[in-house]
Order: sequence, then C-alpha cells, then structure tokens
Amino acid sequence: MKQLNPRSPRSVILVACALLAVSFWSAELRGLGPDTTPAKVTFNRDIAPIVYQYCAACHRPGEAGPFRLLTYQDVKSHGRQIMAVTHTRFMPPWPPEPGELKFADERRLSDQQIATIKAWVDQGMLEGKAADLPPRPKFVEGWQLGQPDLILQAEKPYTLPATGGDQYWNFILPVPISETKWVRAVEIRPGDKRLVHHANMLVDRNQSARRIEKDRGSGFGGMEVRIESEVFDPDSHFLFWKPGTVASDEPDGMALRLDKGTDLVLNTHLQPSGKPEAIQPSVGLYFTDKPATVHPMLLEMQNDGALDIPAGVKDFVVTDEFKLPIDVDLMGIYPHAHYIGKDILATAELPDGTKQTLIHIKRWDLSWQAVYRYAEPVALPKNTTITMRYSYDNSEENTTNPNHPPARVLGGNRSSDEMAHLWLQVLPKDGSSSGEDPRMVLQEAWARHEVEKAPSIFEAHYNLGEMLQRRGEMDEAIVQFQAATSIRPNDPVANNALGGALLAKGDVDGAVQHFNLALKSQPDYFDAHYNLGNALASQGKFQGAAEQFGEAVRLQPGDVNAQTNLATALVQLGRLSEAKAHYEIALKIDPKFELARDNLQQLQQLMREGPH
Amino acid sequence: MLAATLLHAAVSPEVSSPAPVQAGGPVSGTSKSVSAQDLSGKSVDVFAVAAGKPVVLIFLRTDCPISNRYAPTIEALGQKYSGAAVMLLVYPDKAETSANINKHLQEYGYTIAAVKDTQHALVKLSKVEMTPEVAVFNGKRELIYHGRIDNWYKEFGRARSAPTTHELDDAIRAALNSHHPAPASVSGVGCYISDLQ
Repeated sequence: MKQLNPRSPRSVILVACALLAVSFWSAELRGLGPDTTPAKVTFNRDIAPIVYQYCAACHRPGEAGPFRLLTYQDVKSHGRQIMAVTHTRFMPPWPPEPGELKFADERRLSDQQIATIKAWVDQGMLEGKAADLPPRPKFVEGWQLGQPDLILQAEKPYTLPATGGDQYWNFILPVPISETKWVRAVEIRPGDKRLVHHANMLVDRNQSARRIEKDRGSGFGGMEVRIESEVFDPDSHFLFWKPGTVASDEPDGMALRLDKGTDLVLNTHLQPSGKPEAIQPSVGLYFTDKPATVHPMLLEMQNDGALDIPAGVKDFVVTDEFKLPIDVDLMGIYPHAHYIGKDILATAELPDGTKQTLIHIKRWDLSWQAVYRYAEPVALPKNTTITMRYSYDNSEENTTNPNHPPARVLGGNRSSDEMAHLWLQVLPKDGSSSGEDPRMVLQEAWARHEVEKAPSIFEAHYNLGEMLQRRGEMDEAIVQFQAATSIRPNDPVANNALGGALLAKGDVDGAVQHFNLALKSQPDYFDAHYNLGNALASQGKFQGAAEQFGEAVRLQPGDVNAQTNLATALVQLGRLSEAKAHYEIALKIDPKFELARDNLQQLQQLMREGPH
Repeated sequence: MLAATLLHAAVSPEVSSPAPVQAGGPVSGTSKSVSAQDLSGKSVDVFAVAAGKPVVLIFLRTDCPISNRYAPTIEALGQKYSGAAVMLLVYPDKAETSANINKHLQEYGYTIAAVKDTQHALVKLSKVEMTPEVAVFNGKRELIYHGRIDNWYKEFGRARSAPTTHELDDAIRAALNSHHPAPASVSGVGCYISDLQ
C-alpha cells in the first residue's frame, strides 16, 4: 500500500579546488626595436598617456599601488624606479608572453613605451607644455558597477602580522538569500588592496568549508581549499581578484547561480607590510532576473602526483594531456603553481594538426598569479589535445625557493608543497543529439583521464564512479567505488556511494554492509542513515529501517524525504499515531509533497477503519 | 647617551622640544661634522650626538613599500644595539613633512630616532642610493659599510621567504669590534633616492 520514497541514494562529489597561484614576466632585457622616441621626451606629451593607461588604475589612493602615480610630481619622485621596473617588466604586472591569442585587458607595455620612459628619465624628467597634458582618467569611486544588490562582508577581520612570509587566509561569506538568485556580476573587495596579492572565490554549495573553521566567522588559514559538492554541479566561473581588476558583467546568458544556503569562500594571498594590518574583505553581488542559458564549466588539468622534485634540480618538468571529447569554446585560463614554478606553458593541438599556445609564462611568480580571459573565445573542436608543461627550479639560485638550502619538494596543498594545475573555463558547444548535458560528457572524460593517470588516487576512482552511477552505469560504477574503498577502506563517502550502487543493482546485503561501514566511520552521516533505512525497508526489516530514518530526521529534521520514510516505516510497525505525526511534519515542510499527502490520506483512512 | 636620548625625544611631538644639540664636538676621527635636521627642524650633528660610538644611518621614505616591509627588522636591530651604537632613521625626501614622518614612525612601531636629510648631506656622506640602504660608521667616523640591510630582496618583486645574509648586523658588529671584518658593500633593492632631488 505505501511506498518508500524511491529517491536515488545520495552521494558526494569530491572536488579539490586550488585557490592560489602566481605569475611573472620575463626580466631579461629586450631589444628595443627601431627607436622612434622623440628627441625631447616630456611628461605631459609622452609619459602621462602611458602612466594614465597602465599605472594609474592601481597607483591611486585606495588601490593596490604603494604610492600615487597621477601627477608629474608623483611620477618624477619615482622616475628612476619606474624606469627600472618597466625595463625588467616587473611593472605593469603582465606575466604572459605576447602570443597569437589575445587576452582581455592586456596590461603590457611595448618595447617602444619602455624606451620612451628611459629616455625621459635620462633627459632629466622634463614636464613639458601644459597644453600637451591629456585629461586625467576618470575612475569610478566605490562600487564599480553601482550599488550592489547584496553586500557580504567577512564577519571578523584577520590581523596580518607586521612581518614574516606570505600569509594565506580564507574568509567564509554566507549568502543570506531565501531563494535561488542569478548573479550577473561579482565585485570582490579584498580588504586593503595594498596587502592582498590576489583573491580567489569559490562557491561552496554545501557549506563544506565551515567544517574547517574553528570559530564561526573567524575564517581559516591555508593556501588551498577543498570544496565538496553533493550533486553534479561543476564550478562554472572564475571569481578572481588581482590588483587592477575591474568588476564586469558576465557574458549574456552566463549568470552564476546561487542557492539558499550557499557560502562563498574567499581565499586571499596576503603580504605583510611592516606593520600589523586588519583585513576584512567584502563582496558585492549584482543580480539579474535572467537565469543562465549556457553553462560553462571549469576543467582542471593537473599532475601533482608527478611532483617529486629533488633538491638542487633546476629544470624539473611535469606534463598533463587531455583530449576534448566534445567541441568547446575556451573562455579563460588559470595556471597555478607555488614558489618554485618556473616555466608555465599550455598548448592545444587541434585535430587538423594546428598548434596554438594557450598561455606561456616564462618566469612564473606565485605573487602575480592570475586568471586570464581571452579577448575572444578560442574554439577548440572535439579531439583537440590540450597539453600543460610546467617546469620547476628547486636550486639555490631560485630566489623564491622557500628552502635554504634546497630540499626535496612533493606535490601537495601546503604552501611548502608544489602544485601543477591548470584550470580552463570552457563553454561546451551544444551539439549533443542524446540530450545529455555536455558538461557530464566532459566531466566523465576528465574523471577517466584522472584514473588512468593516477590509479592510486582515491578521488580519481570516486569521481569516475560518481559520474558512471549518475549515468546509470552501475556495474562500472561499482568497480570504481570498490577501487576507491580498497584505497581508503573506512572512507564514509565512498562506502555510502558503493552501498548505493549495490542497492541499485539489487545487492541489498552488500549495500547494508557498506552503509554500516560508512556509519562506523561517521556516525552522524545523514545520507548513510537514510540509505541504510531504505535498504533495510526493502528487506522488510522495518524496525531497523525506522531506527535509521529516526537517526536521519534527528540529524536533519527539515528533510521531507526522511520524515516521510520514517512515517512509512512506522506504519509498517503499526505505530500509526507516530507515523501520522511525521507525515504531518513532512507536509509542514513541503505542503506539496504528494507522497506524504497520499500516504497520510491512506493512513487516516486506515485509522478510521480501525485495526483489522 | 644623553644626546641620543634627546634625539629620541624629538620623535614624539608631544614631548617638549629637546635642547639644541651642539654641532661638531671634538670627536676624534676624520669626517667633518655633518648636519641633519630633527623633526622639529633643528640642526643635528649626528657624530656629535654619537659621542664616539658607532653611527648607523638607515635611509627610508614613507612611501617606499620595500623599506616599509623592513620596519620590524630595522626596529629589532635598533633594540639589539641600543646603547652600544647610535642608530638613526634618515628621511631624505625634502617634500616630506615632520608630521607625516611622525605618523609613519608611529604606524610602523619605530622607537628609533629619526632625522631629515633634505640637503642629502648624509646621503652623500653615506654613499647610499636607495631606500632602504644603510651606512655604518665606526667610532672613528669611518664609513665601514654602506648598502643593503640583508639579501631578502634580490630584485623588485623577488623576495626570499627569509634573508640568508645579514650585512647590516655584521657591519654593526664590525664597527663595535675591529676584529670583525666589515662585509663588502652590496646595493639594496628599493626606491631611488635620486628621484627625490
């Protein structure tokens, strides 16, 4: 008569998200090309246009630059310094080599502009005629896109000590919304911009980062953050701030979805200034009523497993290759390594043999890592092979080597470890005849690639199993979940997932065994209680099922399915008035929940008819 | 010691003005007396103040990010050699006001005395070119070291996680004890003092 809610077992996708990265530019001196520098270089005619376009956005009050560069006096009082830092291309910071593909907002001086600055300093930094001075650029004060629809601020500031090495601090910003919102633009205000080298924001749809916080609102340290996702909902947007970033709208149809209960996690890279500083970031959200119509995703290439860099080695190379299973447009790219990264290269080989350099950073610097967006989307057809090739310098000559003397360095998430990651924001082209979400095709190909590359890595098997289970390929999913549990026999998430796949195949005893293993490792695991309740109920073991659903509703009283299933198990045990109470709770949570409504009606009928 | 204390007092505006320091005392050595200004604008002869102790001059500007990052290192060295040597912060920017320098000292937690060198007399005497660079004179007023504080920065934007050489510390030890050799001079990384002319 009554049925249990047949909802598929729950499981969790594990997504490791790195937050930090870096970049630099070539410091070697370049040939300066044909010299078209005017005989007499003046600030007003020749230098101001360069400074206004390339420097002033950051070198003004309230921005990241440590001093102002707005007037003749400002620039003159740092003239030789400007000559030196432009000559080495330390400033303006633009690490990628110039290439065929153009990035949006490129901030790179030409060789001629660098020569003009040098000539101006060598000639004595003349001011020139007032009439030659172009109008000073106008900058928007305050929020760049007007007053945001919602402003989030970190609950507590983080106090950056006066001295010491780089610091990495993560702020959790809960999003106080009661329904799903679509976000057309995000402006990150990372705190005092002079101290924040970059900030990267992750969408935490399951409040998973909160478990790392010691005290609510205090945030937590760490260079990399791991976010867990319960459903197939791959990260879609780069939410990144670096000095000079101007907030802008996402392309049409690419709004970011934020649901009730979502946290934003802001990972910041901070550099002590010489005095203690309080950092308290805020984030402005701009909503739109237009839901997303196209769905980009972030594809993660990596080869951390190959990072075992002996002390003293100057040129240690790791690579990763991924063949695209579908056509995509490449929108943006985010290379990531830590302190001893050296030469960062990503290329694409198209099916017709054409090769493209996606990004090349010859002198990596963690402090200037950035997300780069292409000026135009880069079309990469199916079967394009994307290759990343990163090299590392673990020698004494590498100034940024954190170990003195050099020591062996392994892949890992701590700042003293190394990473070899490359994120690509791709927009899958809609060419699928099966109606399948093209992101799932990409994600499955990626998960398969991860397993082939690193068969001993738990997450690789788990994620592939998850994708296969979602597609209904239960036999293959079971193989992957078994591989995951053989690597980590007590892992609650993997045991729960394996139990779910076995249950779907009708192996109830096997399922019960793995749900129990999950609960042994994590007694307060809601999903495992819920799933075990379903397994026991399917065996007619309603006493055990009621106990499991009882635990589930104790852990999550607001879960309508658990309330309904508990009620149904209680009916089977003849505990009718208790059952009625739980159906009523379920309907209070969701008055439209038909299963609870139907079952309650039948139960009321039964109670009116009296015991048989 | 007395003179050093007076200079120190000049850092805090709420303290009554220090007694004028007598210029060019009869200290043995070869350097001529060189005047700077304390933050109330009075002339100070740093060697007279030192009264035969080693003199350590540290050149800063308020808006140089690299010299600012050195503040805790500089203050710690000041504490370490307090009493044994006279350490002075030197601000060579003639456009900088005493009020701004006082604010800077307070923000960065300096207790070391500060002087202005608007005519760059100390800059020339010390042969420094950047902030932060330093000069160390022994008790005979001989310049035994000028250059970087340590090797934290290799170039703009390229800093080690921690320095591995400590030239200023070594130089002060050499000034205090002639058996210690002074380190070789190495240029600093930071902001050009010549931009301030």
